[in-house]
Amino acid sequence: MNQIVSIGTSHHVAPIEFREKLAFSEAQLTESLQQLRESYQIHEAVILSTCNRVEVYAVVNSVRTADAAAKMLVEFLSHYHRIGVGSLKKWTYLHHNLETIQHLFRVTTSLDSMVVGESQILGQVKTAYDTSREAGGGGAILNRLFTKAFSVGKRIRSETTIATGAVSISYAAVELAKKIFNTLEGKTVAILGAGEMSELTAKHLVSNGVSNVIVANRTYERAVKVAEKFNGTPIAYDSDLDFLIDADIVISSTDAPDYLIKRQPLANIMRKRRHRYMFLIDIAVPRDIDPDVSKIDHAFLYNIDDLEAVVASNLKDRQQEANRAEQIVTEEAKRFYAQLQIFQVNPTIKALHQQFREIADTELQACFYKATLSDQQEAAVASMTQAIVKKLLHHPMQNLRCAVNDGDADHGQYIQALQELFALDVNDDHSDV
Amino acid sequence: MINFLFLVTLLIYLAASIFQTLSLAISNRSEAVIIRPTIERIAFWGTSIGFAFLSLFITLWWLTQGHFPMTHWTDSTAFFAWAITLIYLIIVRLTQLRTLGSFVMPVAFIAILISYSFATHTAALPEPLQNYWLLAHTSLIFLGYAAFIAAFGFGLMYLIAERKIRQKTDTLFDNLLPSLGVSDELGYRCTILGVILLTMGVIVGSLWTQYIRDVPWRWLDAKVISTLMTWFIYVVQIGLRQLWGWHGRRAAYAAILGFVAVLCTYVGVDLFLDSMHTYR
Repeated sequence: MNQIVSIGTSHHVAPIEFREKLAFSEAQLTESLQQLRESYQIHEAVILSTCNRVEVYAVVNSVRTADAAAKMLVEFLSHYHRIGVGSLKKWTYLHHNLETIQHLFRVTTSLDSMVVGESQILGQVKTAYDTSREAGGGGAILNRLFTKAFSVGKRIRSETTIATGAVSISYAAVELAKKIFNTLEGKTVAILGAGEMSELTAKHLVSNGVSNVIVANRTYERAVKVAEKFNGTPIAYDSDLDFLIDADIVISSTDAPDYLIKRQPLANIMRKRRHRYMFLIDIAVPRDIDPDVSKIDHAFLYNIDDLEAVVASNLKDRQQEANRAEQIVTEEAKRFYAQLQIFQVNPTIKALHQQFREIADTELQACFYKATLSDQQEAAVASMTQAIVKKLLHHPMQNLRCAVNDGDADHGQYIQALQELFALDVNDDHSDV
Repeated sequence: MINFLFLVTLLIYLAASIFQTLSLAISNRSEAVIIRPTIERIAFWGTSIGFAFLSLFITLWWLTQGHFPMTHWTDSTAFFAWAITLIYLIIVRLTQLRTLGSFVMPVAFIAILISYSFATHTAALPEPLQNYWLLAHTSLIFLGYAAFIAAFGFGLMYLIAERKIRQKTDTLFDNLLPSLGVSDELGYRCTILGVILLTMGVIVGSLWTQYIRDVPWRWLDAKVISTLMTWFIYVVQIGLRQLWGWHGRRAAYAAILGFVAVLCTYVGVDLFLDSMHTYR
C-alpha cells in the first residue's frame, strides 16, 4: 500500500545553522532523487529547498506502515547530509498521509510562511516540483497531490484576502500613492535626507512607474551618491524648498531637530504647482513635516506611526483571513485524501472484477461447448452466471468502499489481503495517469 | 400590458439599485471577497436588463403617442432614467468602473418611481410641438443632465475616498473606489460632456423658437433662465479648472452644487414657478 510521507524543517522549528546543513543545491537534487530510487525503492519524491525550509515529500510502497516509510526518509537524510539521527529528530517534523497533504497545502498557500500571504512560496514549490519531475521523481500520486496543492493555492487567493494589503512600510506607502494618483507613471518623488527606509520606498515607487527621482541633502556629495542609485537629480538645499514644486511624492527622513516643511511655505508651493496632489511621507523621528500640513487641500501627510498602523491593521486582516484559509485547507486536504484512497483502491477492485468475469466466461464457453442449448437457454445461463458473480462480489466491495470512505486505516490491509489471496496482478504505479 | 411592463421595469431598477449599493456597503467585511463578485454581477446585469426594458417601454410609448414621449412627468422622468442608465453603461464600457452605479442607479430608480406614480396621467402635446425638434431638444438636454449626474457620482466617490485617506481608516485598501486622480479626471470629462450636450440642446431649443408660430414664446421663461444658470455653474467650473487649476475637492463640491442646480431646474421650476416648459 502506498504511504505518502514527508520530512522537513523550517524556520518554525529549526535555526538557520541546522537548515543550511539540510539544504539541497540544485545539483544535489537530481543526485539525491536517484539515490532515493536506487537505495530506498522510492520512485516518487519531490524535494523543496528554500532559505526558510527544506522538505522531502515521498510516496513509499515497499513498506506496510507510514512509520516505516518515515524512518526511511530519516535514514536517507541522515546518510545524505551526514547528520546524526538524534538532531534530525529534534529539528524536523514528520508527516503521514493526510497530515502530509494538509502540510503541503499549508506550505503552498503560504499559511506556513513567515509572512502569511507572501507570494513567493507558490513559485518555489512549483519550481521544486518541476525540478524533481525532470529528475525522475514524478509519479501518479505526487502529480495529483501537487496539482491539487496549486489549485488550492489559487482558491485561497481568490476566496480570501490573505495576500492583499501591504505588510511593510515601504509597500504601504506605494499602495497609498496608488490611492491618490490616477497613475504613478511620469510622477516625481523627492527624497529628503538619506536612509535605508526612504531609499527602499523610493525604489518600490520607481518599480511601480514613478519616473523622476530628486534627491535632496544638505551636503551635495551625499545627494549625488544616493541620486546615482536612481539615476536621479541631486540637489543641495538650505532653507529653500522650491524644488518641491515638481515633487508629487515627498519622502522625508532627515535628522533635523525641527520641522523642515511647514504649513505656510508648503501652501505657497502647492499654489505654484497648481494644487496638484502631493503625498508626503514623514519617516523621520523627530518629525520633519509639520502635521498642520495635512490641512492644506490636496496635500496628504502620513508619518511613520500612520504607516505602521496601516501595516498593523493589514497584518491583523491577514491573520483573520488566515483562519478562514486554514479551514479551506483542512477541508480540501480531507477531500483529496478520500479521493486518493479511492483512486488507489480502484485498480484492485477492477482486477478482482476482471478475474471473476474471466473465470465465469471461460466456464460458460466450456459449458456451452459440452451441452447443446437453445439460444434462449444459453442467454438464461449467461445471465445467471453474471448475477452470481455480481452477488459474490457485492459485500466485499461494499465493505471495502466503506472502509475507504470512513478513513479506516485497515483498508490497506484489506487491499493487501485481496491482492495476495486472489493472486491479483495490480499495476501499482498507476502508469496510465 | 404596458402598465405591467412598467411595473417590472420599476422592480428591476429597484433590485439593481439595492445590489449596486450593497456591493459598496459590504466592501469592508472579509467574506466580501466571495460574495462581492456575485453581487456586482447581479447589479450590473440587473442594470442592463432594466435598461433594455426601459428602452422597450419608451419605444412602445413613442409608438402609441405618435410622437417622442415628452409631455408629462411620466414620460420625461422615464426618459431621464433612461439617459442616466445609458451614460452609466457607456462609462462602464469605457472604464470598467462599475462602482459609479452605487451612486447613479438610485437616482435613476427615483426617477422611474416618480414616472410610475404619474403613470395614469398623460397630457396632450400641442400640435405644433410634435416634431423632431422636440426629440433633439429634449433628448440632448436630458443626456446632458445624465452626464452631470455621473459627474456628481464621481464627486461623491472622490469625497469618500479622500475622507478615507485623511482619516487613515482601516478600510483604505478595499479596491472599490478608484484613486482620487481617476475620480477627479472622469468627473471632469463627464462635466465637459454634459456642458457640450446641454449647450447643443439649448441651441436647438432656441432655433426651434424661430419655427413655432402658434405657441407664444417669451425669453424670460423660468425654465430657460434656470437652465442657463445651471449651464453657467458648469462652465465657470471648467473655466476655473483651466485657469487656476481648481480640481479635486473643489471640483467635487462643484459637481454636487451642479447636481442641486439640475434638480432645481428640472423639478423646482415645475413645481413652484410658471413656465411654458412645464410638464402639466
